[in-house]
Amino acid sequence: MILLTIAVIGIDAYGVNISQELEHQTGRSIDFSTVHTTLKRLEDKGFLHSKMGGATKERGGRRKRFVSITSIGYKALRESQGVRNKLWSQIPIQFQIKSI
Amino acid sequence: MPPKWARKILAWSCPKDSLEEVQGDLLELYNYWLETEGEREANKKYILNAIRLQRPFSKVQGKPSIKFNMSAMLKHFSVVAYRNVMRSRSFSLINIVGLSLGLASSLMILLWIMHERSVDNFHTNNTQLFRVYTNFTNQGQIMDAGYNTPAMLPAELKKEIPEIEYATGFVKYFRLSLQDDIYETFRVGDKIEKLKGSRAEKDFFKMFDYKLLAGSAENALTGPQSLCVSRKMAELLFGSADNALGKTVLFDGRKDLIVTAVFENVPNISTDQFDYLMNWDAWVKENPFKQSWGHFGTLSYIQLRPDADWKKVENKMKGFLKSRLGGMTADRKIELGLQRFGDQYLHSKFENGIPTSGRIEYIWIFSGVAALILFIACINFMNLATARAVDRSREIGIRKVVGSSRKNLIWQFISEATLFTFLAVILAVGLVHLFLPWFNELTGKDISLPFGNPYFFLILPLLVIMMGLLTGSYPAFYLSSLKPTKILKGSFVFGHGAVFFRKGLVVVQNVMSVLLLIATLVISRQTNFIQSKNLGYDKENLVYIPLEGDLISKYSIFREEASIMPGIKAVDRCSQFPHAMSFRLPAVEWPGQDPNMMINFALASVGYDFVKVMNLKLIEGRDFSREVKADSTNFLVNEEAVRQMRLKQPVGQQITVFDKKGSIVGVLKDYHTNSLRESIDPIVLDVKEHLNFGTILIRTQPGQTKVAMESLEKICKKINPSYPFLYTFLDEQYGKLYKSEEVISRLANVFAILAIVISSLGLFGLAIFSAEQRKKEIGIRKVLGATLGNILSKFSFDFLRLVFLGSAIAIPISWYVMKGWLQNFAYRIDLAWWIFGLACLITVIISLMTIAMQAVKVGLKNPVEALRTE
Repeated sequence: MILLTIAVIGIDAYGVNISQELEHQTGRSIDFSTVHTTLKRLEDKGFLHSKMGGATKERGGRRKRFVSITSIGYKALRESQGVRNKLWSQIPIQFQIKSI
Repeated sequence: MPPKWARKILAWSCPKDSLEEVQGDLLELYNYWLETEGEREANKKYILNAIRLQRPFSKVQGKPSIKFNMSAMLKHFSVVAYRNVMRSRSFSLINIVGLSLGLASSLMILLWIMHERSVDNFHTNNTQLFRVYTNFTNQGQIMDAGYNTPAMLPAELKKEIPEIEYATGFVKYFRLSLQDDIYETFRVGDKIEKLKGSRAEKDFFKMFDYKLLAGSAENALTGPQSLCVSRKMAELLFGSADNALGKTVLFDGRKDLIVTAVFENVPNISTDQFDYLMNWDAWVKENPFKQSWGHFGTLSYIQLRPDADWKKVENKMKGFLKSRLGGMTADRKIELGLQRFGDQYLHSKFENGIPTSGRIEYIWIFSGVAALILFIACINFMNLATARAVDRSREIGIRKVVGSSRKNLIWQFISEATLFTFLAVILAVGLVHLFLPWFNELTGKDISLPFGNPYFFLILPLLVIMMGLLTGSYPAFYLSSLKPTKILKGSFVFGHGAVFFRKGLVVVQNVMSVLLLIATLVISRQTNFIQSKNLGYDKENLVYIPLEGDLISKYSIFREEASIMPGIKAVDRCSQFPHAMSFRLPAVEWPGQDPNMMINFALASVGYDFVKVMNLKLIEGRDFSREVKADSTNFLVNEEAVRQMRLKQPVGQQITVFDKKGSIVGVLKDYHTNSLRESIDPIVLDVKEHLNFGTILIRTQPGQTKVAMESLEKICKKINPSYPFLYTFLDEQYGKLYKSEEVISRLANVFAILAIVISSLGLFGLAIFSAEQRKKEIGIRKVLGATLGNILSKFSFDFLRLVFLGSAIAIPISWYVMKGWLQNFAYRIDLAWWIFGLACLITVIISLMTIAMQAVKVGLKNPVEALRTE
């Protein structure tokens, strides 16, 4: 989900706007700490690539860590989408209609 | 801004590589929450997130290999440390023993200090308990201060001042002259016991934590016949503490008392020691002079309400006596003050009318000594450890080449040091356990290791870690900084800085041991001086017998019979103990007296033979004589009195003491009326052979003490059968005045020896180190023809310089400190230069002996061994 959100934001994704975007998109409030840890894990897996940005005043002079999706990450996203699509397509018709 | 502590938590716990961005992100979010949801919610969220980011919740998976490495390293370190200990057993032994000696002695001192501090501080109401003191101002100057108060004071204070919840009087000295040692007689059936005790008011057991075994705190001391006894007394009189309640006891052969309570024996951490308590009011009624506001003879203890401010109460009480005692002006007054009950033991010496110093000085001094000894021991440990670095330099070099980081090396040394201190602490606790009985005997306490105290087990490991860090830090940081190429090439030499540092440590140690040595010498010489000083009277062969029971009425028969018994030279009596005359009053008047002058005279009533019994010298006039009728109203004074009264013609001078008028018949040569801490008081003696207080003085024939005591016992049994025969010797009592000095002197001896042993160890370490460093230099000297003597002197001189420097620093410090200590005594020894000289000499000799061993070893080595690597 987070990986997807990062893909949605595109460039300039970092901790704060990811969690805000998630909140926005899902309507659920999401802990920043969860986001932070997940980012860390995703980076360790090689799905993300991160670099430090410039310092801004509103952050008390601290730099941001921008993240972007690597090709492996993109591939993983794709794969999961493929799996989902495949699963969706196998749900019986009546349920599909009902849910719509 | 988010709360500071939450930010701290974040900064402290977050891994360093991601701290910056996390802080930034959170701050940005915080501001966003602040706008959208308000401060409260934002704070809450921030804190929640900061906590959620803590390690266990947001653990970033570390590399498992590091963990593995850590435990392997630890194992490796301990193996290496163990092998090091075993390889140089004697060296390690010296090191550990030195450290544990230091630790043990400071632990012992610490226990002693804790015990001293606990005295009188064990009561539940400790913070509300106070003791009243008085100070006397004349002509705007504080003349005298003390704890004695009028007997009615506590009850009146309680009535008048609402903040006082409870109040009680207490008696420490029963009769004017007799100090702590008064025993009173109790009889049950045919059991007669002499015990020490006191009088107190009904609030007493409500205020203090003296545990009642029977009876109630409410009713223990209410009736005029009530008697509260200790477990010990109950067991003595009734065989057990259980069936004492309600029993009748004959007191002093004249009054029946009923046991109303039994209390547990008073613990020895209480200054007030008593085996029984009796009703206060009955006692005051029996002694009508106690009902006067002008009679200051008892102690007052009060307990304030929990919410009361004692400073305010003290201010209220200050002028309390003004309306009750006549004749007080702004310039001449007696004021009351309050002291915390728990402070009385350590702060009992009055300065400027306020109890400030006292035993607390010894606490400070010994805290200092403990810190010093521990410090010396740690320094030694470091010194010896670095001295060994030469041996281990190759190990360090190899480690570095193989790839050990500096951090690793530091940890290695610190963990080694911790292992050593761990062993040392265990050994020290063992030593303390072993020597505590001896130490208790020395100090007259019953201290034990607080094995039952959880803090004790918390503090010990803490001590191990702290000392390990402290002692390990220097070798760790220094040795790990060495360049591997240099070490492995074999040209390993300490820089100037390091050498200077090590020498500095040796100097510091030396200062300490010289300091302690001088202190020991001065204290023991002063103690000797006190014991051997000619007091102006003959203190040997003098016996005190209390004047009590039938002896009072039959005193003259006793005197006549005793004087002719074998072994007895002379018999007389005195209202005060002549070796410690504590009763002083400005109660003497004479024509031509300066009305503004206040002289506190030591007043005593004696018999006709007092001068003979005491072996006093008259310098003018004559002694009292039974032949002269007028002598019953005449006086003897001493030189000091003449001097202070400014009399030109003392003999024949009319004086009035209280309401007794008479003339001075003789002047006595000054003799010491008290301990040498105090100067000689002006004395006025008169004859009162009929009074019922005081003590009998008996001069026995030298060498016939045994015979004399047998004769005395026979007479006492005959004249005074209902009292056990009780006696003391004057010289014994005199010795007791210096009990605390005695203890201090013995303690100082022990610790001086310890300090010297420990600092010799330090010097020993430096000698080994230096011998190793100068191996080549000495080898070359030998090759060029130097003799063993040359090398010895060359080698030793370097160290002696340090020893001399240490002594030079120690002398002025010790001079200052010891001069301060000697101020406690009105009569004291001079701080002769030879004391300092001797202390330095002893240190030099001991140092030389320590160094010589190493020097000879180095000097005898074959130079080839030292030089072949070149």
